[in-house]
Amino acid sequence: MLEAFLEGLGLVLQWKAFGFMLAGIFVGFWVGLLPGLGGATTLALMLPFIYNMQPVEAFAFLLGMHSVVATTGDITSILFGVPGEATTAAIILDGHAMAKKGEAGRALGAALASSLVGALIGAAALAVAIPIVRPLVLTFGSPELFMLAVVGLAFIAGLSSGGARGMLRGFLAGCLGLFLAMVGQDPQAGVARFTLDTMYLWQGLDLVPVLVGLFALPEIIELVVRGTSIAGDAPSGDISKGALQGVKDVFRHWWLTVRCGLIGTFIGITPGLGGAVAQWMAYGHAAQSARTAEERKKFGEGDVRGVLGPGAACNSKEGGALIPTIAFGVPGSTSMAILLGGFFLLGLVPGPDMLTKHLPVTFSLVWTIVLANIITVGACFLLLNRLTALTRIPGHLLVPVILVLVFIGSFTSNSSYADIVVTLIFGAVGYFMVLAGWPRAPLVLGLVLGKIAENYLYISMARYDFEWLTRPVVLVLLAIAIGVIAYPALQSWRGRTRG
Amino acid sequence: MNSRIALAALLAVFPLAAAAQAGFAGKTVTIIVGYKPGGGYDATARLLARHLPDYIPGKPTVIVQNMPGGNSIIAANHMYNVAKPDGLTIGTFNRNLPIAQLTGVQGVKYDMRKFAWIGSAANETTILAIRAELPYRNFDELRKSKERIVIGSTGPGANTHDFPLLLKDLLGMNIKIVSGYSSSADIMLAVERKEVDGRAGSYTSLRPFIDRKLVRPMVRARSKDNALKDLPIDESFAPNPRAKAIMALRSAPEAIARPYVLPPGTPEAIVKTMREAFAKAIEDKALVAEADKAKMDLDYTSGEEAEKVLQEVLSQPKDIVDQFTKYIKFGD
Repeated sequence: MLEAFLEGLGLVLQWKAFGFMLAGIFVGFWVGLLPGLGGATTLALMLPFIYNMQPVEAFAFLLGMHSVVATTGDITSILFGVPGEATTAAIILDGHAMAKKGEAGRALGAALASSLVGALIGAAALAVAIPIVRPLVLTFGSPELFMLAVVGLAFIAGLSSGGARGMLRGFLAGCLGLFLAMVGQDPQAGVARFTLDTMYLWQGLDLVPVLVGLFALPEIIELVVRGTSIAGDAPSGDISKGALQGVKDVFRHWWLTVRCGLIGTFIGITPGLGGAVAQWMAYGHAAQSARTAEERKKFGEGDVRGVLGPGAACNSKEGGALIPTIAFGVPGSTSMAILLGGFFLLGLVPGPDMLTKHLPVTFSLVWTIVLANIITVGACFLLLNRLTALTRIPGHLLVPVILVLVFIGSFTSNSSYADIVVTLIFGAVGYFMVLAGWPRAPLVLGLVLGKIAENYLYISMARYDFEWLTRPVVLVLLAIAIGVIAYPALQSWRGRTRG
Repeated sequence: MNSRIALAALLAVFPLAAAAQAGFAGKTVTIIVGYKPGGGYDATARLLARHLPDYIPGKPTVIVQNMPGGNSIIAANHMYNVAKPDGLTIGTFNRNLPIAQLTGVQGVKYDMRKFAWIGSAANETTILAIRAELPYRNFDELRKSKERIVIGSTGPGANTHDFPLLLKDLLGMNIKIVSGYSSSADIMLAVERKEVDGRAGSYTSLRPFIDRKLVRPMVRARSKDNALKDLPIDESFAPNPRAKAIMALRSAPEAIARPYVLPPGTPEAIVKTMREAFAKAIEDKALVAEADKAKMDLDYTSGEEAEKVLQEVLSQPKDIVDQFTKYIKFGD
């Protein structure tokens, strides 16, 4: 085992494989930075390049590219409030708020450091899980996946501000999200739901235009209205000091970072949940770490914990997602499905063989994730001064550039003008939600979990009738969901009795 | 100099014929794919885009453009109503679009029979495979089994759903279909954890799991695939001609699983050039090697044959269509 572990490292460090990895990182860096241009699409476009590569080189290239996309996507999200990737939207809430307070350096430092920690956790999980991967994945059937979605939805309670009114708003926003998740052809009867007689909506609302509208447009409008730079008049401290502060934050909240990393890994392992879920679950968990109601209110206004939670989860999920891909030949996400195509191209059959005969190759994947993330995070720290300087550029110079990126970004999701319309509609929705003080996170949580919850509930009922309710893992998850909902209430009650 | 003027004059007089003969030099041919990047339709188009230029006179650049949405009806509508019939736009889309036309799906603005068909780059065979350790030795035993078997599906309109649905309703098999899995890979995992007993799907997508002895093929739809000739065909168990017709109708588009068309009204000469280019490109050694590596089975079906398949699908008597529509919904 140890031998294979070191052999894997040796494979990646061959000059050719390493060179391809650097090329992959370079591509991934830009893909992540630019909104809209998604990791999965780029993987599909890059696939033809690997025909003449050796397996290790090809995976160093593809995985090197794939594992940095989330990291650089965080940068766009924090600096401009524009999600660089659909998987890096949650970090906007607090990351961009920090940038507006002049703390861009600190936010980036925290995001990069937590990304690295997350990636290492994910890679470690991949390495450790190899012997126990089969029972681990097979424990989670449809009933368990449904309950996992319920736990995710329970986080809505934590993401809503305190008080009856705040809870109600969060709950309603979550319901709106669930409702929006219903749009499209339903997979049980094949009926088109809420498609407004357009074919664009048949396959449901695309996440990218919705997220870009919901988060980016309100920020742009605000920037125009203020007429200043993103950081405004906020004092610009020493940037490297700020970044160092961000790195320190990660260690200060070490266990939170680790827990969020584990959440990400776990969601990566369970296929069918999708990459967008991990960051929001992690954000919900980070928001729970607030000890008092006042602290909770600070979330969304620039609490560093809201940055490092999603940062860690977003990168750790890739290591996790590789587990079912390698062990069963069953991809956990679109990107992994494309990577799986890469396996076939290289004459490798994913499945039990990858854990025995091809173990060094499998470990080379672990090492690629580790090395690619270390290199990217290092490179980003070197560029930090330049990047944070962007928040000092006057708004009227910055806005046109961001607007172009935003609309190209959402247009690339379906190459349809309807993408732009969706972006504008959700831009308006987002703007008014911010204005009226309604939380946006519950809406997104409802949207990303709605379909999962519906489908797995249907499958559970169709397959097991009511028997699934007594499965042990289901009961444990139910207890967790109740705990997640009760925790904020308990907290405010404790706060009240103390006060 | 003179010859160039002569050529220019010739081009002016016979623009279309000249385009086909003097070729597509310096031009860009766009293949419009009705899906996002990442799936089989997209992968096939990109593979062809790399090798087609060698076989089209004048070696044009061939690029792929994705136009997803509406299970690729949007792309077909675009090809039918917007794209110019000059040979520079090729379309490829969901093989079940003829079914969408037949069953009168809202939003269809094309007539499949009026496209200038280049042909199909592959054919597929839907099979049903069940967990290898289940006791049924052959399809007959499975068919007559009193025990209920549970089949996972992604939803109506997909072959994971429609194939077992017809086995259940027309052959009276004791099948329970559990639908809503997010992908066929997701069903495979459900098979691994014994949540379901098996799944239907294209043979190419199930082959790795059959090779790994996780599942065993039991029955197939009508097909041209020689590797499957020993597997029984669903139609041969049909209790009456009506049931047989419905099964045949469901499987008919699988013969043109990767359809390629030019817009209606494309000049004969261009259609001929493209048909020849496709036929040769699919035989290309380098392409075959790449396809083998990617576990794609490419097999050219001519434009004429594709048109025959469409005639068969779209000229069904009304009572068969009505019956068919009861069972089959158009989908992914």
